[in-house]
Amino acid sequence: MAVYIQSAAQISIQSPLCDDWFTDPILREERYFRSEEPDFKQYVDPMSARRMGRLLKRALASAKKALEGETATLDAIVTGTGLGCIETTEKFLLAMLKEGEQALPPSHFMQSTHNTIGSLIAQHLKCHGYNNTYTHRGTSFDCALQDVLMQFDLGALSSALVCANDEMTELYFQLFDQIGYWKKEDVKSEMFHNASSEGSFAGEVSATFLLERDRTEKSLCRLDGQVLMYQPDELRVREAIDELLRKGGIGWSDVDGVVCGYNAARSNDEVYARLMEALFPDVTQIYYKHLFGESFSASAMGYYVAALCLKRGEVPSHLVFKKGRTTTPKHILVYNHFQNKDHSVALLSC
Amino acid sequence: MGRIVVTGMGIVCSLGCGTDKVFSALQRGVPCVGTVRHLQTSHTELPVGEVSMSNEEMMSMLDLPSDSVVTRTPLLGMVAFKQAVGQAGLTDATRTVFVNGTTVGGMEKSEQYYLEFFEGKHTEYIGAHDCGAGTEQIGRLFGRLDAMLTISTACSSATNSIIVGANMIRSGRAKAAIVGGTESLSKFHLNGFNSLMILDGEPCKPFDQGRNGLNLGEGAAYLVIEEEESALERGAKPLCLLAGYANACDAFHQTATSPEGEGAYLAMTGALKQAGISPAAIDYINAHGTGTGNNDQCESVAIKRVFGDSVPDFSSTKAFTGHTTSAAGSVEAVISILSLLNNYIPANLNFTSPIEETGLTPVTQGKNVDLHHVMSNSFGFGGNDSSCIFSKIE
Repeated sequence: MAVYIQSAAQISIQSPLCDDWFTDPILREERYFRSEEPDFKQYVDPMSARRMGRLLKRALASAKKALEGETATLDAIVTGTGLGCIETTEKFLLAMLKEGEQALPPSHFMQSTHNTIGSLIAQHLKCHGYNNTYTHRGTSFDCALQDVLMQFDLGALSSALVCANDEMTELYFQLFDQIGYWKKEDVKSEMFHNASSEGSFAGEVSATFLLERDRTEKSLCRLDGQVLMYQPDELRVREAIDELLRKGGIGWSDVDGVVCGYNAARSNDEVYARLMEALFPDVTQIYYKHLFGESFSASAMGYYVAALCLKRGEVPSHLVFKKGRTTTPKHILVYNHFQNKDHSVALLSC
Repeated sequence: MGRIVVTGMGIVCSLGCGTDKVFSALQRGVPCVGTVRHLQTSHTELPVGEVSMSNEEMMSMLDLPSDSVVTRTPLLGMVAFKQAVGQAGLTDATRTVFVNGTTVGGMEKSEQYYLEFFEGKHTEYIGAHDCGAGTEQIGRLFGRLDAMLTISTACSSATNSIIVGANMIRSGRAKAAIVGGTESLSKFHLNGFNSLMILDGEPCKPFDQGRNGLNLGEGAAYLVIEEEESALERGAKPLCLLAGYANACDAFHQTATSPEGEGAYLAMTGALKQAGISPAAIDYINAHGTGTGNNDQCESVAIKRVFGDSVPDFSSTKAFTGHTTSAAGSVEAVISILSLLNNYIPANLNFTSPIEETGLTPVTQGKNVDLHHVMSNSFGFGGNDSSCIFSKIE
């Protein structure tokens, strides 16, 4: 069953709600940088916005942007988020720890459950369809995507929003810093090509994709399939890719590029390098976390990058991690892993 | 595609550890909701359904080293997971996935150590905070699973895990799935529910006109579900069918339910449609029935919309266990299956008079009835509403 990505929208440390990053990327060097906020007024009325945390506003704005011009009814909203609205969670937690267990603000608790994001989008779009939220670390979005794809396979859906939403508060940045998530110095782009130390640099991502059954003029690409794996060996990865290529009706030599989640942390990057060397030694490798940073939702941008490369028929040089044989991209794999435990691979075609 | 069968169950909640203890407590009609023992909270006035084992007791039961970095939510999960996998006799992890529901995750330790984290103390628990961390700890008990996924839709998390596992099997992505949820009590959500003023200071009274809120509980429960043919091929003994399920969204409010119970209505009718049975075929509903004013009224309205004038026997078992939030869907799925297999409907405790507007009376005394199809409802904050139907293999 073919599924098409009709549109995508993002708010991240690149310019928000546009695709400027494809032609005019912003290279951040700071270890910690928060997203550039769009003008929310276009998407959320200021009265309701006042009661929403930052992540909820971003989630709604990116969902509405992805739906722009679409009037079709929506069958499902599935969200991936590693930590949910961590800013409001912190507010409630700090109030409880500092002021004691009395007179705590309910609104912060209400916004602390991870599914508050997906259900708020449903409320605003008046969507009574399937609604689910995945909170599985660095593959939260990949799990959400799988949910939608399998329901397309089962014929249960003909349209769906798939969303990724994570924010990086200053406090959470500090906590992750304590356990070695981040580099201790500013991030230079060359660090990505020769990762000699652990740690990445932080990002934030709110991204939404509209998926539908039928191709239209605006379709960005086709999604042929996706496989989730846990601690796969090379054989399991080969099997998964074989399955995807079969679904896409192509062979190994038809793959024009592989999007990898290189993030400048040695042990993370080694996994991609080893797999690519074994499976696709001559194929162009595409990277994106140098533009969007690392977060539990970062992998969503890997799909966005692949979709736009397919739509525009080119891989801009700033997204090329390692140049392979030169082809107009028609089939791109998106590979993501989290700590070499949870893996996901998907095939996207134009 | 063949039918989906349940081949194993595991449960731990305030009623006890294992299906035998839980079912016998239900039959005896003795609730287990009372004064908090393990959770460090100043709200000792609020009754809770706490699991009697301490973290240390569970660690020793599970043969975990005493210095393991593990929080209460995955500990409860491991206890139930082992039972489920053991009953199913599942030994081969090939094409087997684990779908786990939780919302609290590692909050039980984060709330103890949060301020100290910033001083560089107890930092090993920072990485144990998020929901996915515990899923992996539980799933690794089994060796190399094909995939692990974590779902968090508040109080319907475990039901949605059942649904996702079933869809992974039906779409050919897995041949077996271990599905359900786990949730420990935390000061964070006890205070959260308290700030919403939906906790009853007395034992909860689901579906009663005088109901005054819910009691929180904790626990974990998992089902092993498989495609029937492949289960039989490996010699497993199917317990019952997972006949139908549906997930819908009320799309009304972040914590309140719409007056017409639209999400609940869509979940129940969707599950019936998938099971291919009429409402009249349902013999018992294990209701969500939290004991809050809002939920029980709206669930009653939705039940009447689905079943009309012939509402089947129904009860909420939350007065027995407390509301085990993200685990509630699978805790109650196990209770529903125990009911089905034993032809026994557990009581809806603490009920005296029906809600005026809807007039529905639940089953107030446990009773033996011939059961064929049982429905289990789970509704979460944000209107994440899901229902499952379990049926006898006949």
